[in-house]
Amino acid sequence: MSEHTARNWSLAIGAGVTACFIVVALLALFWTPFDPQLLNIVDKLQPPNAHHWLGTDQLGRDVLSLLMGGAKTSVGVALLAVFIGAAAGVPLGLIAAAAQGSVDEAVMRANDLIFAFPALLLAILITAVFGPGAINAVIAIGIFNIPVFARVSRAGALQAWTRDYTLAARVAGKGRWRISWEHILPNLFGLLVVQATIQFSLGVIAEAGLAYVGLGAQPPVPSWGRMLNEAQTLTALAPWLALIPGLAMLSFVLGLNLLGEGLRRGSERAP
Amino acid sequence: MNRALRRRARLPPIALFCALLLAAAGSSAAQLAVIGMQLEPPVLDPTASPAAAISECLYGNLYEGLVQFARDGSVQPSLAESWDISEDGMSYVFHLRHDVRFHDGSRFDADAAKFSLDRVNGASSLNAQRSQLQAIRAVEVLDPYTLRVLLHRRSGGLLQSLALGAFVMVSPQSAAGNAAHPVGTGPYRFSNWRRGDSLTLTRNPDFRGPPAALDEVTFKFIAEPTAAFAALMAGDVDAFANYPAPESFAQFAADPRFAVFNGTTEMEVLLSFNERIAPLHDLRVRRAISYALDRRAIIDGAMFGYGTPIGSHFPPANPAYVDLTGVYPHDLAKAKALLAQTAYARGLTLSLKLPPPSYARRGGEIIAAELAQAGIQVKIENLEWAQWLDQVYTRHDFDMSIVGHAEPLDYDIYSREGYYFGYANAEFNALIAALDDTVDPVRRRELLQRIQRKLAEDAVNGFLFQYPRLDVWNRHLEGIGFDNVLGTIEVSRAHYEGRGLSEVRAGGAAGAQPRTALRVLGLAAGIGAMLLGIMTARRLGAAYLAQRLGVLAATLALATAVVFIVVQVVPGDPVRYMLGLQADPDTVAAMRHELRLDAAPLQRYVQWVGGLAHADFGSSYTYRVPVGDLLAERLQLSLPLAMYALLLSSALAFPAGILAAARRGRTTDALLSGITQLGLALPNFWLGMLLVLLFAVSLHWISAGGFPGWQAGLWPALKALTLPAIALAMPQAAILARVLRAALIDTLHEDYIRTARAKGAGEWQVLWRHALPNALVPVLTILGMQFSFLLAGGVIIENVFFLPGLGRLVFQAIVQRDLIVVQSVVVILVFAVVCVSFLVDITYSLVNPQLRAAYE
Repeated sequence: MSEHTARNWSLAIGAGVTACFIVVALLALFWTPFDPQLLNIVDKLQPPNAHHWLGTDQLGRDVLSLLMGGAKTSVGVALLAVFIGAAAGVPLGLIAAAAQGSVDEAVMRANDLIFAFPALLLAILITAVFGPGAINAVIAIGIFNIPVFARVSRAGALQAWTRDYTLAARVAGKGRWRISWEHILPNLFGLLVVQATIQFSLGVIAEAGLAYVGLGAQPPVPSWGRMLNEAQTLTALAPWLALIPGLAMLSFVLGLNLLGEGLRRGSERAP
Repeated sequence: MNRALRRRARLPPIALFCALLLAAAGSSAAQLAVIGMQLEPPVLDPTASPAAAISECLYGNLYEGLVQFARDGSVQPSLAESWDISEDGMSYVFHLRHDVRFHDGSRFDADAAKFSLDRVNGASSLNAQRSQLQAIRAVEVLDPYTLRVLLHRRSGGLLQSLALGAFVMVSPQSAAGNAAHPVGTGPYRFSNWRRGDSLTLTRNPDFRGPPAALDEVTFKFIAEPTAAFAALMAGDVDAFANYPAPESFAQFAADPRFAVFNGTTEMEVLLSFNERIAPLHDLRVRRAISYALDRRAIIDGAMFGYGTPIGSHFPPANPAYVDLTGVYPHDLAKAKALLAQTAYARGLTLSLKLPPPSYARRGGEIIAAELAQAGIQVKIENLEWAQWLDQVYTRHDFDMSIVGHAEPLDYDIYSREGYYFGYANAEFNALIAALDDTVDPVRRRELLQRIQRKLAEDAVNGFLFQYPRLDVWNRHLEGIGFDNVLGTIEVSRAHYEGRGLSEVRAGGAAGAQPRTALRVLGLAAGIGAMLLGIMTARRLGAAYLAQRLGVLAATLALATAVVFIVVQVVPGDPVRYMLGLQADPDTVAAMRHELRLDAAPLQRYVQWVGGLAHADFGSSYTYRVPVGDLLAERLQLSLPLAMYALLLSSALAFPAGILAAARRGRTTDALLSGITQLGLALPNFWLGMLLVLLFAVSLHWISAGGFPGWQAGLWPALKALTLPAIALAMPQAAILARVLRAALIDTLHEDYIRTARAKGAGEWQVLWRHALPNALVPVLTILGMQFSFLLAGGVIIENVFFLPGLGRLVFQAIVQRDLIVVQSVVVILVFAVVCVSFLVDITYSLVNPQLRAAYE
């Protein structure tokens, strides 16, 4: 299979799966088969059946509705975290590339410092300070996206600074900041979109990990990670409770990774 | 190799084999039991901390008091054979046993008893229950085995108080060291405590009574319900006390391998109200909420049916109990009617702050749904214990909460001033005073019943249920006592029926070997770094090296400052958390002073950084030991685990990456690409869960988790680390394989490759000799990063497999607000990461000097 076909496959499958999950997440904003917060102890721990397509959990809640709600949480948290990372990181990277010298050094040192911090520990600390919840999970994950975007945009910008069109702009007398805004940034879009996809998928895993140890979205907001945690002691009684959210997470992240892969290969062709 | 050498080389393995055989033969007669417990005692002295876990494993086994509780709650002799109470109730004379020795060899006599009692209310006492003995005026020694206790005022509950774990008898010689090396009078003595993992007791051969049947008892600390389930199923523990996963309890009850006990505890689970604030100050609102509660549904949903409904703050097992669940039966109509009479007829919103235990979290969701039906909106907020103590218990910043009150005979909290409920009722206080003044059992019973009724009538809290006692054990282990008033694990009469456990558990120097290994490793790393430094100076110039070192030093300094500041911002008071719900202000102040928490932040920072310079990390608040020791203990596991995972991931990734690059564009490549994509997307904790369920619980090939320690042998230790390492390694292997493949393919486009091919080198030779070494450079960077991530990111994995590693340590320390530990561990990890990246950077620029220019 040639690189071209492989790219098409990746792109197609990845885009398809990602779109599916995003549509489900958007749908969950308005409608789910049951209210995910509706407790019905009498119906607890039912296997998938005609009434509840994916069964019910230990408090009688519909698993399909919880899954859709969890998709909403995952997409929301990961997306916001990517925005935070990009909004703060890209300007930093551009500034570092444009300014060079000690400013560049300072930005890179700060980057290294954030990278040096074990991410999970910082997330736990943040939620300890501000209380657990989806918003704080967004902040914790978002903070770690900043150095990534800064590094990527700096690397891309440094390359762009050596190009002819930048040279032409400088000769024409444009200032560094204007050049960064008008010429460098648009050429980084491809790179940034690919990186955003990667960070998005990492964000989904991170949110699930935080929720698994109890620091992500709190009840009654549904979350895949929390569903997995609650399912652990029930595996003998209700194995589907552990498998279903895990498979959902696996497919979503897989789809995102394939999408990112396909986009990256596509952008590699571009100048 | 000549003959002599060969023979010598063969000898050690034979000797080892013989030693193992002997050891196995010798220990097949040894009777050892491993008992799981959910909560670990923070210290081993029940007179210095209110944590119930301390008495749970040590009371009756290692420590004993003057008196003890019988099954029915009455007081029986223990170290005191008998006692006389004066007519006016103001003087007690205890006649002590003559034949008791402490584990340190000293005699137990009236002097020791006086010492133990005086200590309770002494100046430096950390005893959280000291107020229960406040009636004591003086303790006198009449003769070596007779003790007289004189009181200020009558105290009807004195004997019951003396039976509590907080007032056990300690030896004057060794009492100061009880926190880490407990000395008592019981049938077991202290052997070893591996913090975060287990506590081991051995039989006391000098015990005054019949000797214990077991040679050794180990209490293993497993907090996660899932891990508890897995440990029992896989046979890692022989019993579990206070089994934390009621949903799987029925499974054990039905399993012929296990025996179960389903009883009650002294813990009342309440929906507590803050009566200081407006809505809950109104009796009608509290009554409305009480009517809206459906206790049976809560028990079914949160506890899977285990638990007894209660109508007031009193345990059903106590003879003085009166059933008041009928005072507020589940009646939505009445609830709505009552609310309609108040100012909140249109609707009411209340916050519900929940601590970590699952009965609170699950119960909270159910209660929120029930109250919603009555027109009350509930906003749930989940808190960690330290946050709960800070917000709810100390600052009273809450509307409602759900908490279990585990201390026996704690109905007096309702008369305590400033207690977090905010209930202040003169009539109730009078009842408590009368109770304290009464010794006559009949009159006491009457008063206790009136107290229960008063609490129910005033709907002081939503009384939910009495927490059940669920214990599971292997049928072969008999004689364990779980059913007692204090909820302790009695192992004095435990023994094996039929077969004995033949597991080899080699004791020995617990800390010496690994610490030496760590030192050797540290030395090797140091030498390696120096060599690297010298090479850099020669190749790239001393100035360059100096500049890089300067940047490193600056980064490290900044890191310590950032860590200190961030950690200081964390709210929650470690002292309050440690001393528990009943502690009084004096004990709190004493602890603060002992831990030097009253110094200024800047002073603490300077002290800390100064200490870091000589590897002195300070003392842990919770465990009262030097943090350096804790770190060494935990690194024994985290470091090898990270290396093992790194090895596994490289072992998987390198062949995969090379193969994919060699067969690029073909089916093999696509297949490998698909597999690595899957590996990347797999959440490692989910993988861990699945691995445990498959290999440990179903197939019994590998143990479900835990770490036996390196002294148990290389192979058992590695076995314990295998599943966690695999779970950690998978996603890393996927990343590594992809990076290697990409790097290899990139180098394959270089000119020197073309030259090599033109010279006739085969495809594999080209890959091995030419492409791989150059592709290794970016891979090296990733490997370095991965190692740091593996070291720190094992928190989740360590929880799934209950491994006592660094990640687990820092997670627990954050929950317990043990600031010194948190600071030190995070700083160590940051140092490790920064240093590793520094070394990788240097190596990178050494290997390819052209890159130096681009990098700078």
